[in-house]
Amino acid sequence: MSQVQISPPSPPIQLELLYSISNTITQNLEWKKALDEISILVRKIFIFDNLVVYRLDSTRQVLEVVYARAAGRGRSAEADSTWGETVAYQVFQSQKTILTEPTSPSSPDRLERPFVLSIPLSVGDQTLGVIIFIRFGGPVFTPESVDLAEYISRQITHLVERQRIQDEYRDLEVQHQQSRLQQDFVSTISHELRNPLGFIKGYTTTLLRSDTEWDHNTQLEFLKIIDEETDHMQELIENLLDSARLQAGQLRFQFQLLRLDSVINDVILRTNLHHPELVFRLDFQQPPIPITADPVRLAQVIENLVGNAIKYAPDSDILITIRQKDSKSTILFSDHGPGIPEKYQPFIFDRFFRSPDTPTIHGSGLGLFICKHIIQAHHGEITVISTLGEGTTFQIVLPDQP
Amino acid sequence: MTRILAVDDERLYQHLLEVNLEKEGFEVITADNGLDALEMVSSQHPDLVIMDIMMPKMDGITTCERIRQFSNVPIIILTARGEEQDRVRGLNVGADDYVVKPFSATELVARVRAVLRRTSSSEQITQNRYFTHGNLKIDFARAEVWKDNKPVYLSATEYRLLIQFAHHIGQVITAEELLMAIWGPQYREDKEILWVSIARLRQKLEDNPHSPVHIVTRAGLGYLMPPIEKEHA
Repeated sequence: MSQVQISPPSPPIQLELLYSISNTITQNLEWKKALDEISILVRKIFIFDNLVVYRLDSTRQVLEVVYARAAGRGRSAEADSTWGETVAYQVFQSQKTILTEPTSPSSPDRLERPFVLSIPLSVGDQTLGVIIFIRFGGPVFTPESVDLAEYISRQITHLVERQRIQDEYRDLEVQHQQSRLQQDFVSTISHELRNPLGFIKGYTTTLLRSDTEWDHNTQLEFLKIIDEETDHMQELIENLLDSARLQAGQLRFQFQLLRLDSVINDVILRTNLHHPELVFRLDFQQPPIPITADPVRLAQVIENLVGNAIKYAPDSDILITIRQKDSKSTILFSDHGPGIPEKYQPFIFDRFFRSPDTPTIHGSGLGLFICKHIIQAHHGEITVISTLGEGTTFQIVLPDQP
Repeated sequence: MTRILAVDDERLYQHLLEVNLEKEGFEVITADNGLDALEMVSSQHPDLVIMDIMMPKMDGITTCERIRQFSNVPIIILTARGEEQDRVRGLNVGADDYVVKPFSATELVARVRAVLRRTSSSEQITQNRYFTHGNLKIDFARAEVWKDNKPVYLSATEYRLLIQFAHHIGQVITAEELLMAIWGPQYREDKEILWVSIARLRQKLEDNPHSPVHIVTRAGLGYLMPPIEKEHA
């Protein structure tokens, strides 16, 4: 491309080009692509060799190059030429357009004779960055071309500003998501802690009513409710403490040689005390090879999965399979419950996550989060496979040695 | 027999209310959400409603507000400790008293007795779930409006505007009163928003919006829903 072929543009063409630039800005969502198009359009009416856009990195208060194009003749040579780094700061600070002329006008090398036009990118009284046009060896920027460049710069400002707002919006969205999870957690936890407390208080004071007698069976019924609700609270408090210990890196593990079948059978035995109706089907290779793990923590994981199955798949039996191969043990834990919607599956191990579809089921949003960390502390892995209407399978893979 | 409607999404709270109040000789019916509670208030005519605030589907505040649009049955709300705002909101929308969870059985029974004593000495429980005005019918419990037996879909603001008139049949309501009641004090002067809303409401409700019979303008005074003459009723 040669500068010589470009004749001075007539006003109607300029208008048309400006219109195209404006269109490019409003129609392109991707700002880099828009700048590419604009720099091509601009070159038809406005000669430049190098174009640079600097943007303020608001967190560090420094100017950052966000766009640069060398469009002149000797592209590779221009790589080492000036890009207006120093003048960019002056323009940014003064918020005024600065035109710099070559310091050694007689130099035979045109790259030594840069004409630099630096324009602040401002919205209101806020400066977002600087745009720089460079012409090596001339021609000089005329007042008309400066006006034109300033107009184009204002258009580009919108692009930069839009990009900045988009970035900020994305950051805020992430923060908002996190703070919403936390708020949900606080309200879930207060609800979950208050409920059992309210039941205990309510049924105890019912028993204590001085004006009333309750028959023996009713008394037993109330006491059973109080007992169960105490367990609920206990469980919730344990989960909260474990979660806090995980956060503080203080969850301790006591690894020892154990057999997975005995850990699981133990959990089943305890579960059936409270839930005699729950059916477990077991498929173990006999007898499993002992592995090194923390029996209390592994039991906690299994208890958690059982607890979830009772809550979310109340009428389903539970199938537990153990397979061992290549110094690895795999536990499959399956129910035939309603399943977990696919859109929630990536989040079920996240801290505080609870399915929005089942607001009436109690829980803290901590159980699976703790499970995941316990399994990870064993250098194992826990994953979920679930199909709506068919059921859910949790797969735990544990190495023989953590 | 005094009939009490206990509304709570927690089965154990329902049961707790039930055993304690039945022991007092009350008949207890239960619902586990606001929507069912509304239906039961209108069909079972309870003498008192005890209702939790935190409930799925429709919370206790909204339910209370809805009940008040057609019934003066005494309502006790159950709120959690520390949620003063809920308590205030509940009382503002017409609850008669509140009990804070966790509560003792004795306190609950005492509160129920006190509210019943207070309300039975004052006035009869009345309820009018349905309101008709010519070819117009409102179901307050479901917040539904019918014209010539066909459902009319109103925005929340339009509905609130309409029930302002329905609750003040034959009374002229000034623009300022309407703006204050529906949009709030900061809209007191904003007459245009009211004009547009009234016009939209007439479009939906009137056979001829230019010659309205449901919402009539009294120039210089305000608006009213005129009483329907006997022979037209």
